[in-house]
Amino acid sequence: MKVPKNIVRSLTIWLLLFLSANSYALQMNHTMDLEWRGFTAVSSDQERFNRDVSVSFETEFRTSFNDGSTTLTLTPFGRWDSRDPERRHYDIREFNLIHAVDDWEFQGGISKVFWGVAESNHLVDVINQTDYLENLDGEDKLGQKMIQISRSFEQSTLSMFVLPGFREREFRSSDDPLALPFKVSEHAQYESDDGNSHIDYAVRYSGYYASIDYGVSFFSGTSREPDFILGTVPGELVAYYPQMDQFSVDIQITDDSWLWKLEAIRRKYSQRSYNAVVAGLEYSIYGMADGLFDLGLIAEYHYDDRGDPAITSFQNDLFLGMRFGFNDAESSEILAGAFYDFDDHSSAVRVEANRRLSSNAKVSIEAQVFTNVDTRNISYSLRNSDYLLLSLEYFF
Amino acid sequence: MKSIITCATAMIVGVLPFQTALAQSPEEKGLEIATATNERDSGWNHVIADMEMILKNRAGKESRRKISFRQLEVDGDGDKSLSLFLEPRDVTGTAMLTFSHGLEPDDQWLYLPSIKRVKRISSKNKSGPFMGSEFAFEDLGSQEVEKFSYKFVGEEACGESFECYVIERLPQYESSGYTRQIAWIDKEHYRSIKIEYYDRKNSLLKTLDFIGYNEYAEKYWRADRYEMMNHQTGKSTSLLWTNYDFERDLKDSDFNQKALKRLL
Repeated sequence: MKVPKNIVRSLTIWLLLFLSANSYALQMNHTMDLEWRGFTAVSSDQERFNRDVSVSFETEFRTSFNDGSTTLTLTPFGRWDSRDPERRHYDIREFNLIHAVDDWEFQGGISKVFWGVAESNHLVDVINQTDYLENLDGEDKLGQKMIQISRSFEQSTLSMFVLPGFREREFRSSDDPLALPFKVSEHAQYESDDGNSHIDYAVRYSGYYASIDYGVSFFSGTSREPDFILGTVPGELVAYYPQMDQFSVDIQITDDSWLWKLEAIRRKYSQRSYNAVVAGLEYSIYGMADGLFDLGLIAEYHYDDRGDPAITSFQNDLFLGMRFGFNDAESSEILAGAFYDFDDHSSAVRVEANRRLSSNAKVSIEAQVFTNVDTRNISYSLRNSDYLLLSLEYFF
Repeated sequence: MKSIITCATAMIVGVLPFQTALAQSPEEKGLEIATATNERDSGWNHVIADMEMILKNRAGKESRRKISFRQLEVDGDGDKSLSLFLEPRDVTGTAMLTFSHGLEPDDQWLYLPSIKRVKRISSKNKSGPFMGSEFAFEDLGSQEVEKFSYKFVGEEACGESFECYVIERLPQYESSGYTRQIAWIDKEHYRSIKIEYYDRKNSLLKTLDFIGYNEYAEKYWRADRYEMMNHQTGKSTSLLWTNYDFERDLKDSDFNQKALKRLL
């Protein structure tokens, strides 16, 4: 695993200097997650395991100076998995210094950035590499080296990013039931001669006006999403990272109990370009059944003009989601979501329930079922990977 | 002749305020008390405080919430506030930014620290419980005068030997869970001493007692403890306030989407 050494080293020195010179309060938040995965019906032609246990640990160290205007954060993360050696990984999720002066904010180091408004796919969110070793939902991210300068205005913010040091996507072992259907070479290839040290840039202007929240972003650099090409080793594909320019808009209109959402991108590679969009709504009903629970309903439509279900799961698909929030002291909730592909009629359903056990612990259970996956669909290799996940998180 | 006119004028002028007072309707007097309450508690500009909630169910089982709270007074509009959740630990770092606008819907954003996402949320959920407690969102929101219509009910002793005005107030904003509230306001300092909440069926739902008032910045009274009792479920929530700070300078730029991410 590549840890950006020079930045880590210089930030470590700064951290030690600050801590030795001053007795600042250091805040620590630890999260430990113990999980058990059980897979059903793994077909016999694949040598894949059908259950495993894993543990992850994340700590956020944070301290601030100058009356809170300067913040230093370090968040190391690691996971151990009983069966998949590729899931035994660690990452520096964050190691950054943020300094805020009036309307300006300066940030340097390793950070995570989220852009966008949709729930079922994060199209416009391109700064960080997605960590698919953690989860397939695309919400876990690898830390990205960056310098970020932001200027806040009355109701908007302009942010500029310089992104040195590209992070390659990491892949599960081939015997992990959630792995890709082919073996991926250890050695990635790049369109740019600078390889993984190409410096990327991004700009985002975001804000709100009345009930409208908007964001306009531009990214230029190495695509976080690889193409898979044939390499020299038989039976193995190579992750190829092209250069791209992406222009995107994201809009949310918050109208009473309705949230209307749109994310749209235009992505340009040297040889081709494409457009993709996710549009949807979220509707909440509060205090149903005499205040017993809140119900949230989500519908999002995905479109990608490459139009091929073998390339993307989101070319002509509908996502329907439901959230039951029980307004109890344990914050119990049930989430359910389903994808349906209009072109090949593939579908997948996921249900999750979670509940607080104490002030320090939370339990959750998640079930994913891939039903009726078409042979040409990108999710075909997952057709026999229905799973049940039990997770116990401990916070201290 | 002139003296008679002067005398008559003096009589009229002298009598007028008395007559106005007599003619003042219960609604006018209620509004007057509410306005005075609001005026006594304005001009503080900004405040920081820590809040601890202790939720008790009918069997006496407790669970706790800790929140760090900051608020900015906005001239001619509702206040801006920022709540940073510290406990329970699974929500540590989650923060909520609210720009309240009186009768208009509030603007509200939620920050989810695990994925660094700031999400605009609907502020429609006025009557829902705040973090599973007996406080509804509307009980803790910014209390602008125009949010209610008022009616003076009477005067009586209340709390720890206070002389109080009793006023009835009817929510004028949408989606309230109450038909009405009865508030006891102390006559000397215009502080809320007790509030009764009546549900949509107009039965008594909850009682809130404000206990242990202290004066800050030589002017602003804040209670150390709020005790909310739900009479229908037998559950209760205590809200304990500590570390009030009216001195620390907070700016408008401390209350934006960017600031949400730097809080913890």
